[in-house]
Parts: sequence; structure tokens; C-alpha cells
Amino acid sequence: MDGKVCYVCGKENLSKKEIGLTKKLLSKNAKIYYCLGCLAEYLEVDTEFLIEKVEEFKAQGCELF
Amino acid sequence: MIYADNAATTRISDKAFEKMLPFLREQYGNASSQYSLGAKAKRAIEHAREQVALAIGAKTVEITFTSGGSEANSWLLQGIAELFGGESIHIITSSIEHHSVLNACRALEDKSTEVTYLPVDGSGRVSLDDVKLSIRPNTRLVSIMLANNEVGTIQPVAEIGSYLHEKGILFHTDAVQAVGHIPVDVNEMHVDFLSASAHKFNGAKGTGFLFKRSGLKLPSMIFGGEQEHGYRAGTENVAGIVALGYALEESVAKMQTTGTRLKAMIDDTVRGVQKVIPSVKINGDAENRLPGTVNLGFDGVSGESLKNILDLKGVCVSTSSACNSGKDIPSHVLLALGLSEEEAKSAIRISYGMYNTLEEVEYVVSAICDAYRKIKSAI
Repeated sequence: MDGKVCYVCGKENLSKKEIGLTKKLLSKNAKIYYCLGCLAEYLEVDTEFLIEKVEEFKAQGCELF
Repeated sequence: MIYADNAATTRISDKAFEKMLPFLREQYGNASSQYSLGAKAKRAIEHAREQVALAIGAKTVEITFTSGGSEANSWLLQGIAELFGGESIHIITSSIEHHSVLNACRALEDKSTEVTYLPVDGSGRVSLDDVKLSIRPNTRLVSIMLANNEVGTIQPVAEIGSYLHEKGILFHTDAVQAVGHIPVDVNEMHVDFLSASAHKFNGAKGTGFLFKRSGLKLPSMIFGGEQEHGYRAGTENVAGIVALGYALEESVAKMQTTGTRLKAMIDDTVRGVQKVIPSVKINGDAENRLPGTVNLGFDGVSGESLKNILDLKGVCVSTSSACNSGKDIPSHVLLALGLSEEEAKSAIRISYGMYNTLEEVEYVVSAICDAYRKIKSAI
């Protein structure tokens, strides 16, 4: 999508959701990005929880997703 | 889950909850009905009015129940403008008021009311000298909040009230964050109007009140029956009003011990965070603020990200900036304190309440420090 690569596992072409989550949860100016699985591990939560949060953020009007 | 956002709302107190329940089930009468069930509801409302009056040093006739603080603020501001209808009036308020005051003032400006928005100093305090300098011949009302909702700074309301009383200018204070948390006496503060909201002091959502000093008039806010002395028609929220009365009575009775405990918890939080993140700073007045509230600024880290990661960890705090449509809007309060946009976006508010524990503080500190470290590693 944006050509971003996961900083941990090297997964390429991170999705808009993955890029949005990194920006939303870590920083809009993030220099490194995470795939869903690696971000969940980094933040010590499960991936389903992060997906639920994406829906919450969208409902709040966040345009990062 | 650790709820550290009690300035946003509070859990209803056990006592208030128990006291309101019968009015939703067995005692569900309309307070205007002319039989026993209605009379009991009416008595319960009047008892709550006595509890409120006692808590703030007012007379029962001076208390009008509303749906909350925003309604009380809007009613007062729109009512004052209407009361002096035809006259070009001037209102003084501060730049850090709640939006229910600021937006009501802006709406009045569209209708030719003049409004002065006073600045605050770096701690968030309004100066009496600025009030004095802003008074014009047509100044009819000054509205200054008692304690700020974002940084907790307590305003010199008694000092301002004393001066305005001598000048014969009406004085309103939005005391939504203060009532039930710090001593409030309408006579000592020389206020003519005071707004409060029940869910900020462990009452139920959907109830609040406006204190209006005896002899002062305001136009009715809702037309219909004679409820609330004819000011606010419509069937009363009896259960909510009952909860409000008991919650306030309980908050006032426990104020000193709760306040001491909350202040210690906030101090522990600040110390704990500063130990790991020395650059963290308190936004607002370091001392003269609400005992359970602190606004912390984190160098170079977004408050929104901190809030979001804390949420993942089960800790509820709030940011001073609202993320709308992907854009961060910095807090008008923090900007008024002189913070840059970036600093204003790097803040979180922690506000403890009567149900928080010392054990929770330890977890909050550790969660904040961990969240900060994780964010810093990504930027």
C-alpha cells in the first residue's frame, strides 16, 4: 500500500490498517512500522483486540484507517 | 480496568445508587401527581434540594435542578442576555472556561452581546486586576470557573466575587469540577450564580443544578408546568435528583479525608513518573489545584498515543487534545497557559476519585512509563 515494512519481521507492503495502528498508537511521526502481529506482541495485547480498536477509532472519526 | 478519568465522570456512589433505585421501581410517582405516590416523589426532590443547599451554604429556594452543568451554564448565560434584552450588555469570562460557557458566549456575541475573554497566567489563574481592567459601564455579568477541568487550577473566585459584589456586577461560577471536591460556600465566594453537575461527584448522569441567589430573576428555560419554581418545566428526574442529593452529602462529609488521600495519590503518581521520566512536567498550578487532578506534559510524545496505549493496558486517562477526523486539535486551555501546540498535544490528564486505590497508582505509574518507552522507541 504505502511500501512500509514491518520493523520486526520484515513483512512488506503493510496494510493501511497496520500503518494506521502504528501511527495511532505510537506516533504519527513514527520512523518504524509494525505489522499487526508484531505490534500486538510489542504492546502485549492480542491481534483481535487491536482490530476491535481499529473499529473504535473509525467510529470516532479517525481517518488514519 | 483502572479508571483514572474522574474529571470526565465518576462511578455513582453505592449509597447514591441505593437511594435512587426505589424511585425507579416502587416509588416511581410523578412529583406533580396529587396522591401519595406523587407526594413521596415531591418530598424526595425537596429533601435533595435541602441537601444541596446545606452543602453550598444556600437556601433551598435558590436551587434549581437541571440536567447537568452544561444546561445550567447555558441557561444562565442565555438568560442573562435575555433579561437585559434590548440593552447592549458586556460579559466577562476567561479563555479557559468549559465549552458550555465559551460556546454560549460566542452565540451571544452573534446577537450583539460584547464578551471579553480574559487571559490566564502560566498556572491557569485569572487575575483580579484583569477583571477590574475589563469592566465597562455595560458589564452585567462575570463568569469565571471555580476549578478548571483540564488542569485543575483553582481560581481566586472569592477575591473576584468580593470585588464584583461591591461593584454591583453579577457573578457566576461554573463549579462543576469543584462541588463535592473542595469546600464551596456561595456566600464566602460572593457568587450570584453557580453551576454544578452530579456525575462529577459520584451522582448519576443527567442531573445538576444552578444556584441563583434569592431575588435575582432569570427567564424560564423550559415552558410548561410549574416544576422547579416554573423555571424548568417537565417531569423531574426524581431518581437522579435523589442520587445527586445523597452523592453530594456523602462527598462533602468525606471531603477532607478523600481530598488528602487523592492528593497523596496524585503526588505519588507524579513522583513515580518523574523518577523514570525526569522531563515530565505539571501543566497548571503545581499546588493550587483540585486534589485528585493533574495534567502532565511529556516531552516529544503524543498525549493521544499515551492515552491509547494506556487504554490497551486497561488504564483510562484523558488527553487535552481531541482527535477529530484524524486531526489533533490542541486544548484551548493549555494554549491559553502559554504552551506551544506541540506541548499541548503532549499532555494527559489523570484524575483520581474516591474509588481509586494506592495499589492502582503503582500500576498507573508503571503503565505510563512503559507506554512512554514504547512510543519513544518508535520515533
